Amino acid sequence: MRIGVFICHCGVNIGGVVNVPEVTEYAKTLPYVVHAEHNLYTCSEAGLAAINEAIKKHDLNRIVVAACTPRTHEPLFRLACKGAGLNPYIFEMANIREHCSWVHSYDPKGATEKAKDIIRMAVFRAALLEPQVEPEVEVKGSSLVIGAGVAGMTAALTLANQGFKVYLIEKEAELGGMTRKLFKIYPTLADSTEVVNTLIEVVRLHPNIEILTSTTLKEVSGYVGNFNVILTVPEGERKISVGTIIVASGSSIYIPPKGLYQYGIYNRVITQVELDKMLRDDTIGRPERVIMIQCVGARKGEIRHYDLAALPKSPTAELLRRILKARKEEGWPYCSRICCMNSIKNAILIKERSPKTDVVILFGDLRVYKEYEDFYRKARDLEVRFIRYIEEVPAEIMKVNEEKLNVMVYDALAGCEVTLTADWVVLSTPLIPTKDMVMLARMLKIPIGTDGFLMEAHLKMRPVDASVDGIFLAGTVTGPKDVPESIISGKAAAARAATLMMRKKVSAEAITAVVDRDLCIGCGLCEEICPYGAHRIEEGKSQVIEILCRGCGSCAAECPRRAISMRHYGDHQVMAQLKALLRPALTGAS
Amino acid sequence: MVEKSFEPLIAAFCCNWCAYAGADLAGTSRFEYPTNVRIIRVMCTGRVDSTFMLLALRLGADGVLVSGCHPGDCHYLRGNYMMERRLGYVKRIIELLGMEPERLRLEWISAGEGEKFSALIRDLVGTIKKIGPNPLKNGGIEAEYLMRKMDASIEALKSQRLRWVLGISQVGIKIDEARYKAVVDSIMHDEIERYMMILAMKEKGPLTVKEMSQITKLTPTQVMRHIIALRASGMIKEVGEREHQYTYAATV
Ligand code: SF4
Ligand code: SF4
Ligand code: FES
Repeated sequence: MRIGVFICHCGVNIGGVVNVPEVTEYAKTLPYVVHAEHNLYTCSEAGLAAINEAIKKHDLNRIVVAACTPRTHEPLFRLACKGAGLNPYIFEMANIREHCSWVHSYDPKGATEKAKDIIRMAVFRAALLEPQVEPEVEVKGSSLVIGAGVAGMTAALTLANQGFKVYLIEKEAELGGMTRKLFKIYPTLADSTEVVNTLIEVVRLHPNIEILTSTTLKEVSGYVGNFNVILTVPEGERKISVGTIIVASGSSIYIPPKGLYQYGIYNRVITQVELDKMLRDDTIGRPERVIMIQCVGARKGEIRHYDLAALPKSPTAELLRRILKARKEEGWPYCSRICCMNSIKNAILIKERSPKTDVVILFGDLRVYKEYEDFYRKARDLEVRFIRYIEEVPAEIMKVNEEKLNVMVYDALAGCEVTLTADWVVLSTPLIPTKDMVMLARMLKIPIGTDGFLMEAHLKMRPVDASVDGIFLAGTVTGPKDVPESIISGKAAAARAATLMMRKKVSAEAITAVVDRDLCIGCGLCEEICPYGAHRIEEGKSQVIEILCRGCGSCAAECPRRAISMRHYGDHQVMAQLKALLRPALTGAS
Repeated sequence: MVEKSFEPLIAAFCCNWCAYAGADLAGTSRFEYPTNVRIIRVMCTGRVDSTFMLLALRLGADGVLVSGCHPGDCHYLRGNYMMERRLGYVKRIIELLGMEPERLRLEWISAGEGEKFSALIRDLVGTIKKIGPNPLKNGGIEAEYLMRKMDASIEALKSQRLRWVLGISQVGIKIDEARYKAVVDSIMHDEIERYMMILAMKEKGPLTVKEMSQITKLTPTQVMRHIIALRASGMIKEVGEREHQYTYAATV
């Protein structure tokens, strides 16, 4: 046994907290460790080259990298092992970044000790790791795209153009999704129906795309390469099987509850989508003043405390205390990203038709970036007015008559209250997860983030992959996006799915159950327990069908004869970590 | 003997898909928590054998955390439900051993709950600090006896008889809960006591009923009852005589 330990500084991410040289010296004292070194970035080209070199020079046969989380970096280091002629399963990672330096920055000493423990645990486990052979699975050359908005249609088209069969399902009767409901798309002010309709036409005519409207998901089983899907179609049920799945089922627009800014009480308080419709139907006329309020129902529940008592004494501040109490701050915690541009767009559209209309945008923070900065300037040139309010002092809406509303707002920059009379008050509300998002997530086993949207496998490095192999995410299912961004993510998801389907085969993890036939008495408990039907009793003994086993380990934990062991997660391999951790705490146990 | 303040050592079994990822997110988001926890990654909490949990305490962990996906979210559909049931049995044994059941904790953490993970660790460390170090660390006769009983419990949890009765409850066979619990309890007691005897014989060589009774703190009648059962199943045998009493030795 010859173990090599490579400890990463990760720049200052680890090295700034954990004493890496000290930990390296410690690693050298551990059993079977014949080489330990530290690198600035172990995952860099230089770092990987160092591993390769050390494997050759010191004839290493077990590798431990102490760095970040195996959930993102294990594949890379396994490849490095493979490159040096080692089996990837002799590799073990010690997570001293996410689980250590990043959460213990206040306690460098404690973090250093913890890092030593984590590495010791990894070394003990590594000493018991065995080479494994990965079973291969075939990948079907067909894909299911859920949702026919711009993201879904783009993904479907991209895959179809590469020759893959695509099932494009849409729960509504028509294609087009959210974009179909909009009027113009910023910043070019292109007609959204034009954009969508062109896409719909191409998708409809494509021989590789089968469109199923008024169709929803009923059940999904199987795994990467071989998903078995049951759809609920208008005629009843339909079964299909596909190699990959792209989730592009979009999001909803938040509708304010009745009474929030008098919405639903005064019919001159509307949302941006309603304004879009009025602009499209040209029913807005020539109003004297339109006031838009940003962040309605968005960016709420942030941990931000303003001292109400410190605000200038005013009726608004008084009112506010009451309102906040009554309203309980209903809303979503995040910034919806697109509302600022969308409001500016609609402000410009109003100004272009009716230059005399005074358009006022009440904002907390204005978040316009990149070319949208010019878009904002254009609005200013057209004399759209911007007034900054503070979240804790929301505007008050009061009725003047059937056609006019008074809006009282605390102007944060001027430091005083202003009252403006408006014909229309338009609420900018965020994109939010659809109601069926949770059900969808459960069916597909994709986690949901704190915002309520589907979570990417990695926010930065795998932005269109779901954490489930073979499933990809496009459009606003992962959070608010505008049309170009949705199209980009649709193409990206398609590219990721195509990569899998092109290869025709993927190898599955070698973590599977193995039955010791001498111990097994054929009781059949494992057959009952396995959720995937991977155990079959044949001739009085259990037989594991490797390709069906997903490696959960439940059968191993339940077998009355302890006849089942898990590849790569055997009792001894798991316990080695426990023993390595606790041995100094107490000795003398079995 | 509880020290005023000590730094507990907590072993955590986290499933790869939820709790481990939640701990990762706590890191990415820099939600700080105390350094007392060491995480062991398993693919699913379904993998966490009952012996793993008990062995952690036996080896001196002050607390054990098992954390996985929320009910209904397990990456492998049912692993977390099976673990939950299993953990319930281990908790019963911990109570039976006279240890604080709070030392073993189950908590669902999703991949998106970094903040919850951080809060959980803070809370868990606080709880364990309050109840004090693992009693095995106190030393003395009491700790030695507890150690024996724990070793026996671990052996019992490895035994076919106990595993079988626990196992069948996982597969939804219709049994009356109350009656089932009573059966499990009595088998659990039996097995732990029998393994205490067996381990004593293994350690000290052939023993008489009286000697076994002294070591295990069971009454001679109880010891006798187990000897009959153990002899019948061939796990021990009569090997000689001492002070007009038969001596027995373990054959397993
Ligand atoms: S549970 Fe264990 S003993 Fe029973 S059939 Fe399965 S492998 Fe064999
Ligand atoms: S490890 Fe899980 S998936 Fe594999 S055979 Fe056992 S229960 Fe089934
Ligand atoms: S995968 Fe998390 S508990 Fe099963």
